[in-house]
Amino acid sequence: MTSEELGTGGAPEWNPEWASWAAAAREEFPRAQSALMPFLHRVQTDEGWLRPEALDAAAHYLELPRQYVESVVSFYSLFRTEVTGHRTIHVCMSLSCALAGSDALLHNLEEALGVRVGQTTPDGAYTLLEAECLAACDLAPACQVNLRYVGPVPPERFQTLLEEEVSTREDA
Amino acid sequence: MVVDAAATVGIDIPVYCYHQALGPLGACRICLVEIEKMPKLMTACTTAATDGMVVHTQSQAAEKGRRGILEFLLINHPLDCPICDKGGECFLQDYVFQYGAGQARFEEAKIQRHKEYPVSPYILVDQERCVLCQRCVRFMGEYVGEEELLMDGRGVHTVITNVPGIPLTSPFSGNVIDLCPVGALLSEPYHYRARPWNIEREDTYCSQCPVGCSSSVTGRDGQVVRLEGRPTPGQWGWLCDHGRFTYDFGAHPTRLTEARLDGEPVTVGRAAQVLGQRLAAVVREHGPDAVAVLTGGSHTVEDHYALRRFADEVLGGSRAGLVKPVEADLPLALLGTFAELDQSDTVLLLGTDPYESAPVVHLALRENVRRRGLVVKALGDRHLLRDTLAGEEWVVEPGGMAAALAAATAGVSEHPDARLAAEGLAPADESLVRLGQALMEPGALTVLWDGREQDLAPALVALARARGEHPTRVLPTFGPRNWLAAARVGIPTDYETSRRILMDAADGRIQVLLLWGADPVRDFPDGDLAARALERCPEVYFGGVFPPDGAELLAGVLPTAAWAEEAGTYVNMEGRLQTGRGAASAPGQARPTRNILQAVARAYGTPLRKLDEWDPYEGTVDDRLVLPPLEGSVRPVSPPPAAESGFRLISGLEVALTHDPSEVAARTKEDRPARMHPADLADLGLLTGSGPVELSSGDRSFRVGVRGDPRIPRGRVFVPRGLRGVPINRLGGIAVAVRAVEEVASR
Repeated sequence: MTSEELGTGGAPEWNPEWASWAAAAREEFPRAQSALMPFLHRVQTDEGWLRPEALDAAAHYLELPRQYVESVVSFYSLFRTEVTGHRTIHVCMSLSCALAGSDALLHNLEEALGVRVGQTTPDGAYTLLEAECLAACDLAPACQVNLRYVGPVPPERFQTLLEEEVSTREDA
Repeated sequence: MVVDAAATVGIDIPVYCYHQALGPLGACRICLVEIEKMPKLMTACTTAATDGMVVHTQSQAAEKGRRGILEFLLINHPLDCPICDKGGECFLQDYVFQYGAGQARFEEAKIQRHKEYPVSPYILVDQERCVLCQRCVRFMGEYVGEEELLMDGRGVHTVITNVPGIPLTSPFSGNVIDLCPVGALLSEPYHYRARPWNIEREDTYCSQCPVGCSSSVTGRDGQVVRLEGRPTPGQWGWLCDHGRFTYDFGAHPTRLTEARLDGEPVTVGRAAQVLGQRLAAVVREHGPDAVAVLTGGSHTVEDHYALRRFADEVLGGSRAGLVKPVEADLPLALLGTFAELDQSDTVLLLGTDPYESAPVVHLALRENVRRRGLVVKALGDRHLLRDTLAGEEWVVEPGGMAAALAAATAGVSEHPDARLAAEGLAPADESLVRLGQALMEPGALTVLWDGREQDLAPALVALARARGEHPTRVLPTFGPRNWLAAARVGIPTDYETSRRILMDAADGRIQVLLLWGADPVRDFPDGDLAARALERCPEVYFGGVFPPDGAELLAGVLPTAAWAEEAGTYVNMEGRLQTGRGAASAPGQARPTRNILQAVARAYGTPLRKLDEWDPYEGTVDDRLVLPPLEGSVRPVSPPPAAESGFRLISGLEVALTHDPSEVAARTKEDRPARMHPADLADLGLLTGSGPVELSSGDRSFRVGVRGDPRIPRGRVFVPRGLRGVPINRLGGIAVAVRAVEEVASR
């Protein structure tokens, strides 16, 4: 879509606040490429994931090719392009955690939630993801709930993860 | 770079990511070489060659490095060479065969990805075969400036793709198929169509616009199945998609494959015999002036030579002319070359947007701007610059380009011819003086011109003379493709000659009109005159590949062989001769022009002698036409037409719309060829930004699909010339009424 087609207000499914967030990112990082990530993080913090419309908006407000935005979003694994649950659980799969039983922990979580890793429960409560080394071997098996560290979580105590307090998405 | 230095002495260092037009990247690492005094293997494509450097390309270390890189590249590469379109012409196959290990050590499962993912109607990506060299991404993003392909993901999961729902639309996208060193980017129309060992692959030149891009044509079983770019010294071998995917025009359903007399099918021999006898009778009775020949400038130089001799020797001196879609004549003395363009300090786009009229020239301009800061100026009746080609532009009233150029020149130069050309014109205002100053800058100037506005010819001559010793060159972006072939053999190419022939035909002074590839009703700027000529001339015969407008008025039709069906020579917009070879056979009864004309000549009783002994290159210099000197006086340019209220018609040439009929290229053919400013469309009530409109002037009108384009100034309607069913050349004036009409469902 060209800027002419979109106008300044954007498409109806765009959050009206995006324009000001983009402007704020642009103020902090005058180079459009540099402003892209802060803007995307802010949108993801707000909505939990990046809708295609958000990528359109990023390209539009920051005057970047839509292709460039797509490329950046796909490069970083912490940018989500699928609907994310209220609680996002990352389980570290790297060496120390694996030795401490992260495999079994992940398996238990899959059983309890009825989803496979990478998926979100139908009620939108939980998203279950693997993580590469979280640099927290002292907490092995280490996990994150909405990016906040939790651990050690022995496989049989998976329930603590599901009950972890989260207030709003702003914590994430 | 080391890799280029090695190539100059005949040493081939393998590369995937490196391409001279794109610059160094160092992504694929297949070019590893050992350089003395450097501790590790170096990439030959990113290391500059220096004095005294000692490079080993065949050492044990270098070979081990290459073998290792190839092993990595093959880890996730499928072993599907036997069904791969690139099999047999693939650099991965070649290098693995030459440098790789015989046995893979990787035993784990390969990652599976999309095998036939369409990124455009023409291009498929096989993501499993990709070696991530990034040539395609960089070509589109950096070289073309239309970032339509991207790298998605990271590490081993990286793939080449497009944004979902946003296919490639650039007219240069097909080049990524040629650029891809492996079997990842595939031509959809060629997919599973042929293998390298059962095709004819011959050197040729694209037939669709006067740029004449060097290319390779692939024929299989007598049919053309592919066209690829072919790099030659000084040219990268780019093609535009309009040329690349129109290769199948010879097999189009509307192609002429049988001869006809009065609408009834006959053999070519019979038609030639009847034509020869008729011509003999007419010339006996009325003299050679009762016959005239008009060429459409699409046949080869050899064909034009036969046509010329046919008119001179057989008919005894009949008139011949060229039908072209523009009214102005290029002073041939000013004809420039692409090499001169590459040396120019300033380029002026005069009424033409090369992206539309000569697409690969747009790439050349962009490269010159990026590489060495070429200055681009544009003078037109619409915006001619684009996001990918920046510069300064002057948009003048429709019909006002010649007056603006003459006034701008006279505003800066005291040269008598500049004064004469601008006689009676308003003096240049501040803005035009700035244009004049830019054009009078010392150094070389190249003008790209699409041949509209007859008075631009004297204005250009005045500019060239005013610039004195500083070279002024003109590259004509108008077609037909091979119009300079007519100039090569001495057929007049000027507008006035063909206009007089058509006038005489319309007045009944010509008894037989022979059209050779010419479609005057569609192409000739005065379409009414052409239509009258066809209606009133007692007998009109046509030889060519596609039937012309008004085919029902023809007394006879002779089907001729087309491009790629025989070897033949073309002359491109630089005046350069290019001989292409054939890779297919002419369908049905279609025969080479020379054979048909010879048969007609025999029936006439005056066979042409030694037709095949003529060498088109004889007397050329560096394969280029010898240009006449710049002579003749300059005439004053007429003042621009008075501004009128209402919409005004502007036009131009677009290869995307006027290329030969093609079923492959039809996939992306625009069915709304006219363009208007989006705000004007909204005022007409076309709120979706496009729709059908009726254009009328006086008692003439026609319907055409229109779409929004902010580069068209408000109050103007752009309609391309030479388009079937869009008779812009029959509307008369430039003031038109525009009315939105109901969309008629075609089903």
